[in-house]
Amino acid sequence: MNLKGNCPICDCEINLSEGIEESEIFTCPECHNRILVSKIENENVILEEAPKIEEDWGE
Amino acid sequence: MRIKIGILHSTIRKEEKLLMEAARKKNVEIKLIDIREEIFNPQNYKVDVDLVLDRSVSTIKGLQALLFFESLGVPTVNRYEVSSLCADKFATSLILYKKGIPIPKFALVFSEKQALEAIKALGGFPVVIKPTHGSWGRLLAKINDKESLEAILEHKEILGSPQHHSFYIQEYVQKPGRDIRAFVIDGEVVCAIYRHSSHWITNTARGAKVSKCKVDSQLIEICKKASEAVGGGILGIDIFETKEGYKINEINHATEFRNSEEPTGVSISGAIIDYCIKLLKNKK
Repeated sequence: MNLKGNCPICDCEINLSEGIEESEIFTCPECHNRILVSKIENENVILEEAPKIEEDWGE
Repeated sequence: MRIKIGILHSTIRKEEKLLMEAARKKNVEIKLIDIREEIFNPQNYKVDVDLVLDRSVSTIKGLQALLFFESLGVPTVNRYEVSSLCADKFATSLILYKKGIPIPKFALVFSEKQALEAIKALGGFPVVIKPTHGSWGRLLAKINDKESLEAILEHKEILGSPQHHSFYIQEYVQKPGRDIRAFVIDGEVVCAIYRHSSHWITNTARGAKVSKCKVDSQLIEICKKASEAVGGGILGIDIFETKEGYKINEINHATEFRNSEEPTGVSISGAIIDYCIKLLKNKK
């Protein structure tokens, strides 16, 4: 399946790999901002700006 | 019946994808539970998993979710008690010290005057100041002298939240350009990596390079003791190599492992799923 979405910041069209999951964060290839995969509906992927890294994140 | 594990998450990282893949290979069903979308009301929450595995990138949200599921009688990995202890560096140091497990010298103070006295007792400068809660090597400060101490503490007091007004001070340990992260499940060392960096901070999140660490009997022993001290489960134990032998630096309760399966040749994700299966089988 050819998954596509638009960057919510620079609006470029992004082709996403098949293994992508909802709630995954990746870097936009054009504007290099962190983008969140909000929803995958068939071939359409809804993307949002990823939340800022918070103080209690990580291990 | 097929086992169903709920993965508590707030974002899907490579680790969670590896866990999903490992579960699929072992015929275990996975339910992804995005804790940001849940309503943790015990009156009407419908549990449809056999066990929950905490993989939340947010420590606070993960702990609250663990507490909630435990209150409903759902087996959790790790247990809330273990995770909350490991999330707090001061609490972890205290329990390891009490159990006689080698760790760097440490103290907690609330003021600059006490910090100076504490540093004297720790052997003098340099020392490391860390937030009691935090990760990825953030907000660590190596303090070389009194002037730097004054500056860092003033910044923390004025700019930091109340949590940053507690100063956890640790003796500075000279490292051989690396430290060790051991992946420990149920007291057993599954594998270990060296984290190499020319910087004194050796977190992979800060760019440290990873290579396989040979696991020796001393490493096995100290990890087993540390695991027992904090209550077991799945742990990422950070260890310093010193002239006096291994010393435990920190223990991580929801360890990241994306860079460690390839160099060690060990499926850490598979070992985590196996542990969850074992827990459920032992429960029956």
